[in-house]
Amino acid sequence: MSYAPPDAADFIERVAGDPRCAAITDQGLLGEALSSRAPVIFILRGNGLSLGALVRRIHDANKLVAVHVDLVGGLRADRAGVEWLASVGVDAVISSHGQLMAAIRHGGMTAIHRLLLVRRNQLDTAVAAIGRSAPNIVEILPGVILPSVVGMMPRFEVPVLAGGFVRTEADVQAILSAGALGVTTTSRALWGTNGA
Amino acid sequence: MAAPRLPSILVASDGHHSVHAPPGVDAGVLVRDTDLATLVHRAGSDCAPQAVDIDSVAGLGIDDFAVDFVTGRLAIPIVLTRRPQLAARAAGSGQIGLLHVFAYDSTGLRRSLEGHPRCDGVGSVVTPGLVLLHLRDDELAAIPRPILAYGLIDTVEDARACLTTADAIVVRPGLAAKLAARLGADLVAAGAGR
Repeated sequence: MSYAPPDAADFIERVAGDPRCAAITDQGLLGEALSSRAPVIFILRGNGLSLGALVRRIHDANKLVAVHVDLVGGLRADRAGVEWLASVGVDAVISSHGQLMAAIRHGGMTAIHRLLLVRRNQLDTAVAAIGRSAPNIVEILPGVILPSVVGMMPRFEVPVLAGGFVRTEADVQAILSAGALGVTTTSRALWGTNGA
Repeated sequence: MAAPRLPSILVASDGHHSVHAPPGVDAGVLVRDTDLATLVHRAGSDCAPQAVDIDSVAGLGIDDFAVDFVTGRLAIPIVLTRRPQLAARAAGSGQIGLLHVFAYDSTGLRRSLEGHPRCDGVGSVVTPGLVLLHLRDDELAAIPRPILAYGLIDTVEDARACLTTADAIVVRPGLAAKLAARLGADLVAAGAGR
């Protein structure tokens, strides 16, 4: 039986329940991520063509998996690359390419549009692009500055994740207080341990 | 001829309007997001820029000829670019080259620094500038100086904080005026000390 990812509302609810998501750039950290409280594991590097076993391990640990299609190796950030990720059971796909959001949603996955904070005069353009792409979630980088810049940004119609230089519990609290749904972080101490 | 130096404040302009650095402080003008004709016009005006983001000038090539034109014919001594070889070219001609370094997350920062030429006269433009306040000491130490903080510095408080870490910051004209009014003497002193 083929795997059916949760719909976007369920994905968002999982993150809302435990807003510290584990981002890994090295599969050597997968074990630690699996034993943490993180509800979703974000795969930011690695071989996108050999994700099947990894995805099954994550699902077996009752967690969800999101893959950054722009950053993993072996895949092109296009519709066929997204279809490949759907075929191996990925729950969510992250990309900076707004035109991929429709393909991600069409594949039954949660669409996460990554927004890079660059300069104020580029914010309007970026926000307009997000309006057109209609993702399920916006991920903002570097997330650590979200509390400082949230006043410059228009309100998004979808939940916001924040990633990038999120290293301390104080960072997490400030970001959540700024209205974010959750954080994505490579800082293992923030993933939390089961039972903690 | 004196070696060029990076002012503490660069006031961002698209070149379509006259933008002057606030008087009496260590400041200059950065032209970005413009076109070649406008850049040439501004370089010959009474508000000639000290810096240009060369990759964002429509009509201008992204090669050594363009760097030589900007630093030579237009006499703009500070060149911002995403291309390491162009930053090195500016430095090689006795000017200042600043390579864009993107700091969206720790992995990205490391990768962005891998291509840095790390030679005399080539510093770094850290984008977004506001993130400098959140970098660890070892990350800051890995970024070749001078460091220009560029992007999302929107308040006097953020500007002041960034200047404790960066050698210079990019701000909008309105904020530059506020900084001159509130930090003027400090900015003159900071410039003289470098």
